[in-house]
Amino acid sequence: MTPGESPPLAHPAEGLAPAGPRASRMARRRGLWAAAALAALLLVPFWLSDRYVMHLWVTFYLFAALALAWDLIGGYAGQLSLGHAAFFALGAYTPVLLLQRWGLSPIAGGVLGAALAAAVAVGIGSIVFRLRGVFFAMATIAFAEIVRALLLHFRSLTQGDNGLAIPFTGERPLDLMFRSEAPFYVIALGLVVVTLAVTARMRRSRIGYYLRAIRDDQDAAESLGVVSRDVKLAALVASAALTALGGTVYAFDIGFINPDSTASLGLSIEIAIMAIIGGVGTLAGPIVGAGMIVALTQITNAALGSRGGASTALYGLLLMVTVLLRPAGLAALWSRPTGRRGERRGAA
Amino acid sequence: MAIFLQAATNGLLLGGVYGLVSAGLTLIFGVMRIVNFAHGEFLMLGMFATYWLGRASGLHPYVLLVPVGVLMFGVGLLVQRALIDRVLGRTDEAQILLTVGLSAFLQGAALFVWGADYRTIPTPLASASVAVGPVYLSVARLVAFGVAVVLAAGLYVLLVRTDLGRAMRAAAENREVALLLGIDTGRIYRLAFGIGTGLVGVAGALMAPVLATFPTVGTLFALTAFVVVVLGGMGDIVGAMIGGMIIGVTEALIATYVALDLAPLATFLIFLLILLVRPQGLLGKGRV
Repeated sequence: MTPGESPPLAHPAEGLAPAGPRASRMARRRGLWAAAALAALLLVPFWLSDRYVMHLWVTFYLFAALALAWDLIGGYAGQLSLGHAAFFALGAYTPVLLLQRWGLSPIAGGVLGAALAAAVAVGIGSIVFRLRGVFFAMATIAFAEIVRALLLHFRSLTQGDNGLAIPFTGERPLDLMFRSEAPFYVIALGLVVVTLAVTARMRRSRIGYYLRAIRDDQDAAESLGVVSRDVKLAALVASAALTALGGTVYAFDIGFINPDSTASLGLSIEIAIMAIIGGVGTLAGPIVGAGMIVALTQITNAALGSRGGASTALYGLLLMVTVLLRPAGLAALWSRPTGRRGERRGAA
Repeated sequence: MAIFLQAATNGLLLGGVYGLVSAGLTLIFGVMRIVNFAHGEFLMLGMFATYWLGRASGLHPYVLLVPVGVLMFGVGLLVQRALIDRVLGRTDEAQILLTVGLSAFLQGAALFVWGADYRTIPTPLASASVAVGPVYLSVARLVAFGVAVVLAAGLYVLLVRTDLGRAMRAAAENREVALLLGIDTGRIYRLAFGIGTGLVGVAGALMAPVLATFPTVGTLFALTAFVVVVLGGMGDIVGAMIGGMIIGVTEALIATYVALDLAPLATFLIFLLILLVRPQGLLGKGRV
């Protein structure tokens, strides 16, 4: 479907671009701006010599991509997943293991990891999408905890708690090993661009409208012929695959993975929080949220020393404030009208 | 056989504490339809309160059960009044995110203030045990189990026999009708949240001599309590106790006969299964 066609289930608040020549002119201008911004961002590594600052940019891009990917299912479809770390872990462990066991390039390994995450998403999705609300959230937590327990248990494969280190064996681009941080800057930025492109395309597609219809009222959407399970599955598969790619970038950038850093409930929550604080269901929101959290972590670490906890406490506080004050423009996730208490949905 | 009995007994004793933690969670859910994702952090706070009060006063952890319970009851009242009350009647997502935010806040704050060290309360109890036939029972775990069962029974009696309990059940059943009948539902909600938090605080005090105290100690308890609450039926106190013991025994047997680190896996598989096959819980309808 092209952007000009009228969607079957347009959401009035989503602000469709007006049709006609004016629209295409606007789209072209927006495309030019985006290209200019991208070119400017690509120049950053040339005047950044500090490896640490460059790594901060990589972290920001990585979290932005993860938050955008989460938003596909968490924001647009309104399915509050608190288990996305599981997909991240699949994307981190798969290429590392394939490289260490069979010398497979992590470029191929990352794609295989994303494929694995997508396949797992189909399996787990067909289970958890039968649930709604708090039961859905709890089921996604359980799923991620199962993945974490498996990673901890199969020590002969994953080294359990000790994790897997990727020793640096010289500049080998095909193995994603670089002396400089600059290539990871480009890779992570590329991941953001890909995720943004998938999201932007999804927003304009039939599935995008279906997702928002499901978010607003699943029963009404179903009654209009939307097969909510299939639509949500499509979103989850895309979200899982992109999240897994994030895991691959993380693994080879950091050079070390373990179940706590890749498959923990804390990571799942952090990903969700970034999208939510920034504003779900928008292109800019998850990026802004990721920037805020990365900056906040830096500032608190600088101000309060390396003692952990302060940044976690602050983003918890920030999340509570976001939920309670419900600023306009943020998060359709919780601004939709609610039924009366007695009518709220429990398990499917 | 001795190994089996020993594992099953250990599981049962810990299961009683799971049951108490879950009773608090299920009470809150039953009365106000809120799943408190910060429940585990209240357990952690109960453990830290026991640790610090014990250090300051030199009193035995069991003497501190009452003050810690009262303290956590007060914390619960405050949290309900300042935070939870504002999301009642809003979407599940808003309620989840608020308590998830509270959980992250409390965990982060505890890590910042107290550090990540594992703290233990040295009492002779920790290693004391009594032999019953072929089975050795840890005294501290036995006490924890006993207190948990007594408190859960007390909560059940409170709900079934007292006016306050009847008011709570009425508010759980239908808020508007309860209001029409002259029940101050705001007060009922504060009390329910306070009692639920107080119970998990006591569970923390009971665990303080048994387990190390550290900022993330509550996470596994909270996740287990979700499983137990769903297993026993959301809002069902008796179901929470029975569910707690089922999970406790299952975990202990898996840990003994299969692998220690697969015990949580079994718990979460049971959880997914229950959610799909019997979301109303094993024991049928809620009975708050």
